[in-house]
Amino acid sequence: MAVTTDRAALNEWIACGWPEKVVPGGKYRTVLLGQEIEVRRTGVSSFEVFECDGHGELSRSLPVQAKYCCIFTTLGEPIRPLPKIPEFDEADRRITGCGSVGVHTSPFRIIENFLDMAHFSFVHTDILGAPERTEVLAYKTEHRKDVDEIWAIDCQFYQPAASKASKGGQMTHYAYRVMSPFSVMLYKNVFDDPTRNDAICLFVQPIDETECLAYMPLAIVDRESALTSIIDFQQTIFAQDRVILENQRPALLPLDPTIELPTRADASSIAFRRWLKAKNFQFGVYEKKAA
Amino acid sequence: MAERPDRWIGVALDRQIKPGSSNPAIVGGNAIAVWRAEKGPANVWEDRCPHRGMRLSFGFVRDGMLRCIYHGWGYELGGHCASIPAHPDLAPPKTICANVYRSEERYGIIWTNLSESPNAPLPDAGPDQGWQSIRSVYVARQVAAVKGGLASFDWGGGRVEEIGEGAALVNAGGLSLLIAIQPVDESKTGLHVVAKGEGAKDAKARLAWASRLERLRGSIEAQS
Ligand code: FES
Ligand SMILES: [Fe+2]
Repeated sequence: MAVTTDRAALNEWIACGWPEKVVPGGKYRTVLLGQEIEVRRTGVSSFEVFECDGHGELSRSLPVQAKYCCIFTTLGEPIRPLPKIPEFDEADRRITGCGSVGVHTSPFRIIENFLDMAHFSFVHTDILGAPERTEVLAYKTEHRKDVDEIWAIDCQFYQPAASKASKGGQMTHYAYRVMSPFSVMLYKNVFDDPTRNDAICLFVQPIDETECLAYMPLAIVDRESALTSIIDFQQTIFAQDRVILENQRPALLPLDPTIELPTRADASSIAFRRWLKAKNFQFGVYEKKAA
Repeated sequence: MAERPDRWIGVALDRQIKPGSSNPAIVGGNAIAVWRAEKGPANVWEDRCPHRGMRLSFGFVRDGMLRCIYHGWGYELGGHCASIPAHPDLAPPKTICANVYRSEERYGIIWTNLSESPNAPLPDAGPDQGWQSIRSVYVARQVAAVKGGLASFDWGGGRVEEIGEGAALVNAGGLSLLIAIQPVDESKTGLHVVAKGEGAKDAKARLAWASRLERLRGSIEAQS
């Protein structure tokens, strides 16, 4: 496996584990964009990350930050800081990581699936969508240039059981936020309380172009459910997505708009693909071979 | 992309593709979905939804349409997208169409031709009537080795004759076996076998042929 040369990918902060994955004093190895790295937990909340050379020896030391239930590092010179997600600092929220799930596909297929409402009725039947209420109402997408993020706002979808706290169906309101090519989050209104939002993140660690680890930290408003059942709910949803994600062809994301045909409900996917194209992304992207 | 020569290739026995089902197969490295509406002949399409690339062999059949499992887009016979559930009031643009390959059911076998301009005739095994399905076997060898194995196998006195590139006929005392040869990929070949004649009339005889085919597979795989 070769390390990518794509600067656009190298210059991002990328999740490479979560604190509880390793005890203080412990270490583990993993791979990022084709590069083997070693993560060391030097204290309760202090970490070090190193590149490993071709012989498995530690070479360069890499920047590291532990935040949002994840450990982040970068192989290049980050063009942006980690995103601000203030919900993780609100005292009354349940904050949890959900471990990691391996997925064989491009990181961008995973992000795009997370942004998509049109699959709820089919892939998360009777949970996030009902078979007889499949319509995706018009929503807005925007490129927020000051932070270079893609947002989809005014999204709504009818959900039979929107979260662990749900006691019935509701019209769920969503906002989606793509914070970097490898990280995305959503805000969805809490059952029975239109003034609060659950915050659900998805950080993707690309091991290589078509193999990833996905982390799903949550900062949610739910006083009643046990943490384990909240995590179970998210993992059930993600397991359903994974079957889809590993069976899309090609696995790499096509940016050429003639290869896959979007419709209005795909506005967020269109915005995401355009944004990647403008960044001249090569890593994880499908290039049509010349005939 | 894998090659798609102008040639008919058997991909399944008729009875294996149940009404109202979609099934995966691979032909010469090309992934296909073989599906059948609630009634009518089998269809062979590229195993890829034009929307976001989901495999259509994971799809489900409803009201004569093949629906993709990811966002439920419905495709009519012929491949046109007729339903986009995210926009129930919108007529899908005519340009959205699954990639449909030619397919035929003959001799109890489903055949497809993946070529963009298919002109080749189907293998000629005589009249279509009277063929009974025996079984399919998948051999972990490429086509050339499997054809060699067919030629040298002990067919109980029968002899093998190739009919075109994609099929072989065995005549053994009062019975004809038709073998459709499906190149799957570099290391796998499928054989779909039907029979007719006196020797294929009773179930016991057909079962005996089915186990003989299992021995054929074993004998080809035993050669290195
Ligand atoms: S990928 Fe098939 S309907 Fe969306
Ligand atoms: Fe999903």
